[in-house]
Amino acid sequence: MPEPYGPIVLRLDPVVQLTDVQLAELSSLNDTLRIERNAQGELEILPPANITTGNQELGVGADLLVWARGEGSGAAFGPTAGFTLPNSSVRSPDASWVLKSRLAELTEEQKQHGFPPICPDFVIELRSHSDSLAAVRRKMEEYIENGARLGWLIDPLDPRRRVYIYRPSADVEIPGADVEIPDSDVEILEGPESLSGEPELPGFTLDLKFIWEPDF
Amino acid sequence: MTTQSVKPRQGSTQTQPEPYGPIVLRLDPVVQLTDVQLAELSSLNDTLRIERNAQGELEILPPAFGITGRRNSRITARLDVWAEEDGSGDAFDSSAGFTLPNGAVRSPDASWILKTRLAELTDEEKRGFLPICPDFVIELRSHSDSLDAVRRKMEEYIENGARLGWLIDPLDPRRRVYIYRPSADVEIPGSDAEILEGPESLSGEPELPGFTLDLKFIWEPDF
Repeated sequence: MPEPYGPIVLRLDPVVQLTDVQLAELSSLNDTLRIERNAQGELEILPPANITTGNQELGVGADLLVWARGEGSGAAFGPTAGFTLPNSSVRSPDASWVLKSRLAELTEEQKQHGFPPICPDFVIELRSHSDSLAAVRRKMEEYIENGARLGWLIDPLDPRRRVYIYRPSADVEIPGADVEIPDSDVEILEGPESLSGEPELPGFTLDLKFIWEPDF
Repeated sequence: MTTQSVKPRQGSTQTQPEPYGPIVLRLDPVVQLTDVQLAELSSLNDTLRIERNAQGELEILPPAFGITGRRNSRITARLDVWAEEDGSGDAFDSSAGFTLPNGAVRSPDASWILKTRLAELTDEEKRGFLPICPDFVIELRSHSDSLDAVRRKMEEYIENGARLGWLIDPLDPRRRVYIYRPSADVEIPGSDAEILEGPESLSGEPELPGFTLDLKFIWEPDF
């Protein structure tokens, strides 16, 4: 397989200025496409995922949801939820989880409309046939730089069955920097049978058998 | 104008998965793009190939690979050299956009229009998307073109007034070329495609008198 091209990056500004509401409308008008906005304000558009990815996404999200409901400290979100990160990009991770104490700071309006200004504490991305690995790895780094404490990138397309675990670097002290931007550390696993969310997601374990060996 | 159909060979010779084709992005009613804004959007994203279909949706393709650019450049150059010698029409490259009678805005890889028809356009019209369907279009299938989508586009050109269309598919190991012309015996212009396999050259007769396109550089690129 050649490396997929990744998202079409479409620059709109200054020809068209899209409000957040219009971006949300555009997403629902084109609901088979996956539309995000990067920090430069450009749209990043991916074609529809295939059913294998659809099955994997739902499976990962379902396990996260079941754990989150039992554990109680946070809420889980699926791939239609969009978040405005501190760098202004709008991203929709395949699955994500946010502490309820942080969600409580959002207004009702922000919970009901558009893309709330919050970066998930935990994100999962599953690489699909149209995702370029380089692009999705950059996106994982962006989550960490914008406040995510843990990120899993699962790559079923790689025959080595790789999983990339992202966390903020332990020792971030950028001298002279106005804003503290966490650097990301990545750990690469090959063919793990399961992943543990400890310590950020106490007790969460994701079985990966259904990813590596789809049952259909 | 015979219609010859070639049966597919036994077993699939297609090794690559079929590309997804263009991203189709519906904008209306969230955003209404004028023709001027569409042209601005194209130049703002000049590595993308942006067209608009008859439903008003954007059709966006990623950048072409280098080899496609090389093939395109030679096709355009040869069409232009012939057009200048022949004198009855003008050739256009892939940056020219045309508003077809059905409302779609298309940019064929190469095209040619009779001067008598171009003379009817105002100077204002010549600066934007030309409100005219080319008499002749060439499309070269690139790695991101789905064959179905580009065949539909060829039919659209013919339905909108093109008299001849060539779709050249270097991605097909059978080296197929699809020749489109309006059907002789239909009132609503439909299109008939004649399929050639591995032709060494194509002749534009009778629509483009004397135009021959050597295809060796397509099938055997020089780099």
